[in-house]
Amino acid sequence: MESDMGLIVKTTARATIPLIGIFGSYIVAHGHLTPGGGFQGGATIAGAGILFLLAFGLDEMKNHYNHHIYSSLEGLGGLAFLGVAMLGFSVAFFYNKLWHTGPFLNGKPGTLLSAGYLPIMNLAVGLKVFTGLISAMTAIALYRRWKE
Amino acid sequence: MKRTFGALALLFIFGTLLVVASPQHGLKFGLGGNDWKNYRYTDQYYIDHGVQEVGGMNIVTDIVFDYRGYDTIGEATVLFTAIAGAVALLRPWRGDENGE
Repeated sequence: MESDMGLIVKTTARATIPLIGIFGSYIVAHGHLTPGGGFQGGATIAGAGILFLLAFGLDEMKNHYNHHIYSSLEGLGGLAFLGVAMLGFSVAFFYNKLWHTGPFLNGKPGTLLSAGYLPIMNLAVGLKVFTGLISAMTAIALYRRWKE
Repeated sequence: MKRTFGALALLFIFGTLLVVASPQHGLKFGLGGNDWKNYRYTDQYYIDHGVQEVGGMNIVTDIVFDYRGYDTIGEATVLFTAIAGAVALLRPWRGDENGE
């Protein structure tokens, strides 16, 4: 089935997909300092993946997409979110223990390595949103049942 | 004629909504001014204590991941359930011929 696009779209996608990925990673990594966060950055990275799927077609996407890896990464993101929330369980659920008395990630507010569990949670949620949206998009593209 | 009447009626409804929704001489949604600060003190609390208690410079991230963490857990669960449902519904079923 011919499902990829033309040369211009492919070349533009080849040039812009790394930039979109870098920008989304920046949004996720700086989620506790600048506007944005895990959900928004994960959706941006997933936009790069969806651009790949649209430009290069389903056959090329099948070579790079493994359902088991993406499913397990999504579960890992959710479990990391819950586990980091459990860290301060001696005081309360969702207590930011790393920020108050933790061994690391307790620098000055405004630096990258600060804010306790917030960067870890941003990474976990970004991973979860990215893999989840890619899985949903690939499932929709792969399992459509109407005839063309 | 009918079309003109419809457009005029739509314009009238829109103008009435504009007058009603204006806070000066219509409905007032919620409190305004100092009453707002008395009854909704949590807004100012987050702005004052967010950096000290949670540590992030982005107050929205502080609220989403710390003060309102249960809500974020629910959101992540909703996302997980939606994607699990989509994958489960869209996979080829037993009766389909030449499925992927």
